[in-house]
Amino acid sequence: MALEAPLSRVQRWMQEVVVHPGSIDEALASKAARAEVPPERLGDVVLPSRTLAPAQRVEIYQRMYLLRMEEALGIDYPALARFLGPRGFRDLVRDYVASFPSRSYTLNRLGDHLPAFVLAAGGLRHRGFCHDLARLELAMTEVFDETETPSLSAEAVAAVPAEAWAAARLRPIAAFRLLALRYPANAYVQSIRGRGHRHPRPRRQDGWLAVYRRNYSVRRLELSLPAYRLLSELVAGAPLGPAVAAAARRRPGSGAGPTQLYRWFRAWMAKGLFMGLEGLEPSTNRL
Amino acid sequence: MNRWNLPDLGIGVGLRTVHFGHILSRRPAVDWFEVLSENFMDTGGHPLWVLDQVAERYPIALHGVSMSIGSTDPLDREYLRKLKALAARTRAHWVSDHLCWTGVAGRNVHDLLPMPYNEEALRHTAARVRQVSEILERPLVLENPSSYVEFASSTLTEWEFLSRLGQEADCGLLLDVNNVYVSSFNHGFDPRVYIDSVPADRVVQYHVAGHTNKGTHILDSHSDHAVAEVWELFRRSCRRTGNVSTLYEWDEDIPDFDVLHAEALKARAYREEPARPPARVARGA
Repeated sequence: MALEAPLSRVQRWMQEVVVHPGSIDEALASKAARAEVPPERLGDVVLPSRTLAPAQRVEIYQRMYLLRMEEALGIDYPALARFLGPRGFRDLVRDYVASFPSRSYTLNRLGDHLPAFVLAAGGLRHRGFCHDLARLELAMTEVFDETETPSLSAEAVAAVPAEAWAAARLRPIAAFRLLALRYPANAYVQSIRGRGHRHPRPRRQDGWLAVYRRNYSVRRLELSLPAYRLLSELVAGAPLGPAVAAAARRRPGSGAGPTQLYRWFRAWMAKGLFMGLEGLEPSTNRL
Repeated sequence: MNRWNLPDLGIGVGLRTVHFGHILSRRPAVDWFEVLSENFMDTGGHPLWVLDQVAERYPIALHGVSMSIGSTDPLDREYLRKLKALAARTRAHWVSDHLCWTGVAGRNVHDLLPMPYNEEALRHTAARVRQVSEILERPLVLENPSSYVEFASSTLTEWEFLSRLGQEADCGLLLDVNNVYVSSFNHGFDPRVYIDSVPADRVVQYHVAGHTNKGTHILDSHSDHAVAEVWELFRRSCRRTGNVSTLYEWDEDIPDFDVLHAEALKARAYREEPARPPARVARGA
């Protein structure tokens, strides 16, 4: 006899069973599932087929759930998946989606909390390295999907009077992220993209990185610490004059002199990292 | 012709990332592309740029997997707003999704979960379809899902449910003949009865695809060539509906574009032949 249950209850029950990470018997007997449908009433909710019992039919959906989550996160985190290996990554995905299930119509945002989850994950070997890998790969997917914004043109830069530069604020393109890393995550990401590259060991090694998009391609630019600090201040909205002066003061004679600063800016402009200048006088702001 | 006069776009394929380069550089002679809505709703990067190029050159229909029309959660208005904007951007001929639910309690399991087919589910789904059609300002088109579970509380067959839903919510039907075949195997019904029973004037699109037979059940894997039985169901249905926009789905182990397109073009042999003028009888014969 069919169980008299409203649609909402049937759906709550089925979802609890489908997302359960254990066996189908464990899923059907879980507290959340039992609250909706007692396991002994399963046959009153789901019919058997010629070849499968009700539990086996529901199990088809349950098995596919974690595979789908693993596939989606594997696309966004290929380096982390490679480092952890199939079993390690599968375990991480199982635990992660139990804490951070998808609440969006798109799987693109499923992995947004993975770096923080990895950092807090007890028992994960090389946790710091995994955290940096996850941070870098999340930055890459964010940059991939960001809104396209035009970069500042050479003509626009040339039109700014020399005296206006000190007060100018550089606005980065939307598809831009800065990262300070404690492990060689960038080298690891690079190593899985080419053949014959050796994977770096997950040892402490500070590094600084800009992740940006140019011509719809995600790129990574390694930075020195002084360059990273200066870019960080500019991105935070500091006027160019004080930011440059602070960079020169921080380590006098060690890489942030006028020549080096000029090289950095030339490279950053060439890579199209900035989309606009703010804080200019009205007469010079029509770029 | 369907009741909304939505055009027969011919034979199309799904727009997939692995084919972006080929499509932009070779401009293959494909009649139209079906676009997975959710893949383009939240990106401002390369995928959207490619979509804009494709939409300039080819007719487009949007096909979604997350509307969750059968869910007992409230409709996601933000999702529908973005879907409507994408349809306008691509000048989509229609917008489709599935007769299913994808989650409740704010979650999305990203699967096309089955509905019980009874009066409660029909009332609930019909009301939501009407709401969505009003928001999108066009008739919603729903695809029959493949399923692995049958509910004891069902009082209608799937084809009866779809027919009633069409009447009560005035929605279109994306008839997936592979899904009919898959579900007929899994649930033990005659797929020909299903094909012969759906409202022909509501069919605005076909899906044809491959599947994976696991022995005890068939999985709708979209991973292979379609079997002859599926093509025959397609032929049978075309006799009722006339020629309707047809799309070949291939989502796992996706082959080179030319292989996919060749598989899609097999549909030509099964579609209704255009009406021919009566043969003239030679004088004196």
